[in-house]
Amino acid sequence: MMRRAQPWLGTLVDIAADGEQQAVSQAITQAFAEVALMHRLMSFHDAASDISRLNRAAPGELLELNPHTWQVLRLAAQMAELSQGLFNIACAPRLVDWLCLPRPDDAEIPSYQPALAVYHCEREPLVRKLAHGWVDVGGIAKGYAVDLAVAALQRAGAGSGCVNAGGDLRGFGDHDWPVAVRDPLAPGRAAAQVLLRDEALATSAAYFSARRHGDRQISALVDGRSGEPLVASISVSVRAPRCAVADALTKVVLASGDAQHPALAASQASAFII
Amino acid sequence: MRYQHWIPLAACAAGAPAFAAQYLNAEQAQKLMFPEATAFREQDVALSLPQMQQVEKLAGLAARSVNWRVVGAYSGDKLLGYMVLDDVIGKFELISYAVGLNPDATVRQVEILTYRESHGGEIRLPAWRRQFTGKSAQTGGLAVGDGIANISGATLSCTHLTDGVRRIAAVAQVALKK
Repeated sequence: MMRRAQPWLGTLVDIAADGEQQAVSQAITQAFAEVALMHRLMSFHDAASDISRLNRAAPGELLELNPHTWQVLRLAAQMAELSQGLFNIACAPRLVDWLCLPRPDDAEIPSYQPALAVYHCEREPLVRKLAHGWVDVGGIAKGYAVDLAVAALQRAGAGSGCVNAGGDLRGFGDHDWPVAVRDPLAPGRAAAQVLLRDEALATSAAYFSARRHGDRQISALVDGRSGEPLVASISVSVRAPRCAVADALTKVVLASGDAQHPALAASQASAFII
Repeated sequence: MRYQHWIPLAACAAGAPAFAAQYLNAEQAQKLMFPEATAFREQDVALSLPQMQQVEKLAGLAARSVNWRVVGAYSGDKLLGYMVLDDVIGKFELISYAVGLNPDATVRQVEILTYRESHGGEIRLPAWRRQFTGKSAQTGGLAVGDGIANISGATLSCTHLTDGVRRIAAVAQVALKK
């Protein structure tokens, strides 16, 4: 088993894989290259990223994006529909407001309107900007990057492996992957352990990002319907076949407080609240 | 696809070890960064005061340290690049990492060597950190699959690490660039 970690997507990405040493080393290098690509495409901070291009675009403009960006945006739209707006990547203006994200080029912050459709995915890889607004894919892109890295490991011939992007992870192959889930009240400790086999697990909670902003408590997690911060001291974990889906669904369960939310069954997923 | 039941581990809440992972030792990291190298030479750097000031100006961060652990990678006499070793502390984690640099001081690769969390305030105690810092080359029995689990939780930001990489890029610019 070879295991390496590099900083990407604002967090640590940890990749482990099994197989013949030279081949595994190359497989992991290729998997990190996919994660690095996602980092460049999805960054809210980087003015050259696909996401920044979409955020700058005027209503009506049609953009040709990288197919991966298109896939992430389409999945985000599907998750928004499935969760009736609980999941909403257009909440970026709120995060900029709370200084959780940097303001791009000192641009004026668009107002956040929960039900407003900011973009529409047309034929891949085309995306039309529909209304003035900003998206941030921080709630889904790490999961998508994990799926991409897993596919790269498999293409390169790794028999089993596990990719973990800051707590959102997926294991594959004939191997049980033990995963410790942080205790939301004492994040340095494990509150539960699960075994993953050929599936993904993502966790969301406010314990690392919660802080006071002005006279209120905020976090990097937003209820898509109201635009209000999610600050409850709970942790939500979702397991699903794909990590991108698990990643997005943690926000749905966190905002609804419902570990049986219908969006889970519709996605072959299950949830666990600590 | 096989779904397994959740296994709550009530017992591990008390007295459990803090999370840790060992990825690479320094030798493994330098070989990974410079596979074509035939020799690696330690060539640590001590910054002068004007160099410290330059680093701060370039990185926009405190230079933090006079002394830097540097390994030069060579193919025969030809310089291929450098690897700089460093440790950073975050909220409650201590990360040892290596930055691979080209001779022109551009960053080519960052690899984490070890990751260790303290349960609480220990991270601020020099004695706790001294157990681990500067010992990246030592191997521990912490391979994944040997009992040390992956961690799932809220995303822990690695700003301090990206700051560290930026600082090292500035050190290389000031003291190593050919």
